[in-house]
Amino acid sequence: MKLASAAARFILCLLAITLAGWSAPRVSGAEVQVDFVREIKPLLARRCFACHGPETGEGGLRFDSREAALAELDSGSYAIVPGDVDASELLARVTADEDSGMQMPPEGDPLTTAEIDTLRRWIEQGADWRKHWAFLPMQDVAPPTSQQNQWGENPIDAFVLARLEAADLQPNPPADRRTLIRRAYFNLTGLPPTRQQVEAFVRNESPDAWEQLVEQLLASPHYGEQWARHWLDVVRFAETNSFERDAAKPNAWKYRDYVIRSLNNDKPYDQFVREQLAGDELDEVTEDSIIATGYYRLGIWDDEPADPEQALADEKDDLISTTGQAFLGLTLGCARCHDHKIDPIPQTDYYAMMAFFADVTSYGDRGDQTGNNQWLFDTDEDRRARQALDERAQRIERERTSMEEVGVKRMSATDQRRSETGERQALLEEKLQRYLNSSEWQLYQETLARLERVRRERNALPAVQTALALARCEPTPPATHVMVRGNPHVLGDVVEPHFPHLFEVPEPSIPAAASDARSAGRRRVLADWIASPDNMLTARVIVNRVWQHHFGRGIVRSANNFGELGDPPTHPELLDWLAQWLIDHNWQLKPLHRLIMTSQTYRMSSAGNSRALEADPTNDLLWRFDMRRLSAEEVRDAALAAAGVLNDRVYGPSFYPTLSEEVLATQSHPGDGWGDSSPEEEARRSVYIHRKRSLLEPLLTAFDFPDIDSSCEARFATTQPQQALAMLNSAFMNQQAERLALRVQTASDDPVAESIRVVLGREPTYEEVAAGTQLIDRLQTHYDRTADEALRQWCLVVLNLNEFMYLD
Amino acid sequence: MSKPSSSAASFCRRTRREFLWESGCGFGGAALAAMLAADGLAPAARAADSSRALAPRAGAYNGKAKSVIFLFMYGGPSHVDTFDYKPALVGKDGVMVDVKTHGRGGHRNQGRIVEPRWKFAQHGECGKWVSSLFPHLSTCVDDIAFLHSMTAESPIHGSAMLMMNSGKLQSGYPAMGSWVNYGLGSPNENLPGFVVMLDRTGGPISGAKNWSSGYMPATYAGTVFRPEGSPINDLSLPENVDRPLRREVLDSLEQLNRRHFDARPDQSDLAARIASYELAFRMQQHAPEAVDISGEAATTLSAYGVDRAETRDFGMRCLLARRLVERGVRFIQVYSGGAHNDDNWDAHGDLEANHSKHALETDQPIAALLKDLKQRGLLEETLVVWGGEFGRQPTAEYEVGTGRDHNSYGFTMWAAGGGVKGGVSVGATDELGSAAVESPMHVKRLHATILRQLGLDPNGLSYFYRGLDQKLVGVEHVEPIHEIV
Repeated sequence: MKLASAAARFILCLLAITLAGWSAPRVSGAEVQVDFVREIKPLLARRCFACHGPETGEGGLRFDSREAALAELDSGSYAIVPGDVDASELLARVTADEDSGMQMPPEGDPLTTAEIDTLRRWIEQGADWRKHWAFLPMQDVAPPTSQQNQWGENPIDAFVLARLEAADLQPNPPADRRTLIRRAYFNLTGLPPTRQQVEAFVRNESPDAWEQLVEQLLASPHYGEQWARHWLDVVRFAETNSFERDAAKPNAWKYRDYVIRSLNNDKPYDQFVREQLAGDELDEVTEDSIIATGYYRLGIWDDEPADPEQALADEKDDLISTTGQAFLGLTLGCARCHDHKIDPIPQTDYYAMMAFFADVTSYGDRGDQTGNNQWLFDTDEDRRARQALDERAQRIERERTSMEEVGVKRMSATDQRRSETGERQALLEEKLQRYLNSSEWQLYQETLARLERVRRERNALPAVQTALALARCEPTPPATHVMVRGNPHVLGDVVEPHFPHLFEVPEPSIPAAASDARSAGRRRVLADWIASPDNMLTARVIVNRVWQHHFGRGIVRSANNFGELGDPPTHPELLDWLAQWLIDHNWQLKPLHRLIMTSQTYRMSSAGNSRALEADPTNDLLWRFDMRRLSAEEVRDAALAAAGVLNDRVYGPSFYPTLSEEVLATQSHPGDGWGDSSPEEEARRSVYIHRKRSLLEPLLTAFDFPDIDSSCEARFATTQPQQALAMLNSAFMNQQAERLALRVQTASDDPVAESIRVVLGREPTYEEVAAGTQLIDRLQTHYDRTADEALRQWCLVVLNLNEFMYLD
Repeated sequence: MSKPSSSAASFCRRTRREFLWESGCGFGGAALAAMLAADGLAPAARAADSSRALAPRAGAYNGKAKSVIFLFMYGGPSHVDTFDYKPALVGKDGVMVDVKTHGRGGHRNQGRIVEPRWKFAQHGECGKWVSSLFPHLSTCVDDIAFLHSMTAESPIHGSAMLMMNSGKLQSGYPAMGSWVNYGLGSPNENLPGFVVMLDRTGGPISGAKNWSSGYMPATYAGTVFRPEGSPINDLSLPENVDRPLRREVLDSLEQLNRRHFDARPDQSDLAARIASYELAFRMQQHAPEAVDISGEAATTLSAYGVDRAETRDFGMRCLLARRLVERGVRFIQVYSGGAHNDDNWDAHGDLEANHSKHALETDQPIAALLKDLKQRGLLEETLVVWGGEFGRQPTAEYEVGTGRDHNSYGFTMWAAGGGVKGGVSVGATDELGSAAVESPMHVKRLHATILRQLGLDPNGLSYFYRGLDQKLVGVEHVEPIHEIV
């Protein structure tokens, strides 16, 4: 009893310390408050964890929790005494003389003066050990009210303005209408507005002209194409399996279309999550929800693994890593071999996640490459009918053969030998009748007719629809074990499915699978939890992605990593407010787009001003709209649109753009797995290009189309000479320039001016017309080119203008 | 990111990644910076600053090597028929032995010995045993360090190729050449820093995955260079366009782009983009010049075997490798063998025919390359690496014939130049050559050695991705092979 109360007092004492740590202590004087998460934790993890981490704890010291770090050491001293630098052994050791033998860390460079100073100030300030923002529940926040300014009624503006005012900055004025319509078109549809669309918007005097435009674009089927691309990057969508054969995955395009269609139909995001993770286990299983489970079939797959168990573990790891990043913004993959070094994710959480996926079969095996991944949409009735007809046909075929053999046996030896070769059919047609009597021949003819009828009946059955999906599961999967140091050959403890501990939610209860179940029912539980409004990361992660693709970067820049090594949010309250708003609006993205795009924040101009540039050069506070380069797909699609040939047909199987021989020559079988598409197909939007992992379209790659083997949270935006080479020399761009030349020539007496109107959607300036006219003249007079050739060169210039490639 | 290997700067990833997101880098990054300054695009100073961070830079150490030429013997040459002399196999042809093997044919515990089909003899001052497949290369052994106890994780081409090139069995990770350019930048802005030259028969299995930059920007990816025609994709001017005409087009474009930029003077990307067109224009001149061998002496061409049918292709690529090294290209990979079956070193059927062919095609050119580099004083700063994705088994694959299956349990690679000691041999396989038994060396140790010779810290050079400081050698500490330096 006495012991128990002592223990209780101890725990209370610890609690008090912890709570003290929670309420961020005020700073005295001019000392800057040290940020534990940003400055201390990574330092400890990097330089101290090797010996004083959760698994090591040398000398009785562990830096993985505040309790452990403040505990008495084996030596009797204390590493950290909050507020008392002199009593803190940590400071003494990191500042010890190199020769003293006391210096920490014992290996590598000593800590820098700046690092030591940060540690000192942190201890002085009370050794705060705050929990990471993303691992705390969403805050219930209200938009701030501004004292000084009136800037829009949109709550987003209130959040943005509050931060700007605190920094004594002004938001930029709105961009002009021509800029805005271009911004909106590319943002929502990935395509440029036509000149007519620009003019109509500019002239629209209605007070809600902008709102009308946003509505119209959200209703466009091209919206789904553009926004699907963002999700496809995150889930590393491709249509082949990589490795030696890099073979095509049948029906992968249906998953791509599923994403496009879901967005176009404004399917609630929570439903979108549920369908991809457990579309085969929902209360209402639909064709759509089955196709959604194609999610499990998108990764790379080794069809000839040297170590099959390792390959299977790698396949699962790819799934866990992608799922963690895509839906939760967590780098769960880092806990595969050991506890996560930074985030509070123990190794067992990783394997608990693997246990949720225990019924997920491998993509395939070498003998059967489709059984696990191709779902057949047929009714039991259809299947039975098909089987019955197949069996009847086989029976009749056997009868037919035996009748033929009666005749063959009467033939010469040479002909009998022929009957065993590929010439059998010809032989039978030529001679069989001669060797059968009339009643035999009659019967034979009737048999052939019967066979023909059965075959016709079989062909009349509806064709089976198939989809890339989680077609086969293991309803009673074996136990999941921790793999010691990530090694699939060294199994540790058994792990049951549970949610990562950092969420501090109860253990899931998983209903036992029925005896005839086709899956284990675990993924449904996981999906419901991820898609729950109570999940503190799901809504934050998706609103951040939406924000990212409106503004060019997320409120949290590291969109796949909300953990402690990710970037902190620039506007944390806004992020939480938006997340809650999404949940309150049925998880639908279109209302969120509408909310964001009708803010003043979205409509600001991208112009610079020296004061703001000085104060906030990276625009973290959003005093302007960030200019951006077109994405790889947008460059290609806009060029096709300018050429007047863009085929805007929505949905369907992928197409193969023409690749040069040089590019195909990089394959071990040049041309293998690459098809021919008609010119009309080749003029389709880039989202429909066949994604072969080992053979990416070079124009897109030059403009930072990502490697598609692992999740891509944000594309690079590089500027490099290969882009200029592709834009000026590629067959594709020269073809578009030629088409553009033809187009403007046909449409107008002034093709130079017309080219500017078509490509940039505005009237040309005097200087542009002069530049174009001059170039065309010079090419004709000094270079002996025809007027047509010269105009083509000018059109190539226009397609290379920065104004074409960048959005204000 | 002053130095990617500096842990303090790199751990908090932001500096690096932010830079990578926002500016051009790698190939051409340095040049952009210089041109921005030279062209007086003054307000672009910020871009220039960030670009300069990827200018050629020092590694963590003073590296002996400045460039790497990786001679990739695709398909997997047999070590016991080339450089790993096994007297125990001599006279034992057809004898059944107990030996554990793992190849494309799976795991086996027994096999029929295929006696090496070539005689071995000692060469050089070091007395290295080399088979008669390499009459020319055997004269260079005093410059070569042999690694006889290499091991890889996979005996299957696709994954083993990726492991040799990127340190991982799966695709999606940056190739070694990408890492080297990420770590050291590229001194010649007019050429790519990572060049790949393929065999005339085609690319290797998995094609471009072998020189992909994975999660790094595509600017770090290997550029396929062709000896004939247009060396780089989209490099040559379209039909009916010549350089003066293109100049007119560029002038017109720049005039309009500058006007656009003048209205947005703080947008450094626009300035960088204007500069990139000039850089591309220069590359169009310099890259063809790099592959133009008309100025090479007849004796040089003859030494490389460019004048003979059997050695012409590989000789040409070796010669180009030297020319690229002279021009500051960091990492050059030359493939011997392409496509499938006997188009490369994958001798499953007729070992004799296969290896005779590929050795004949490469022996003289490689020896010429080593000697040429040495004579020009370039060998000291050029690390030449030779080897395949694995070796071959000492026993036969089928009931009849000389074909050998894959062997990742033990095989030979070699390195020369770039501060590597010559005339040494490290590690050993067992007496049959079936597995490494003395100082086994994982492929990652070779990677660590290459980085270390270039002055990079293999355990420090990292790139933040997916929540981790990713490294070429992986998360576990990997030691370079100290015995050969």
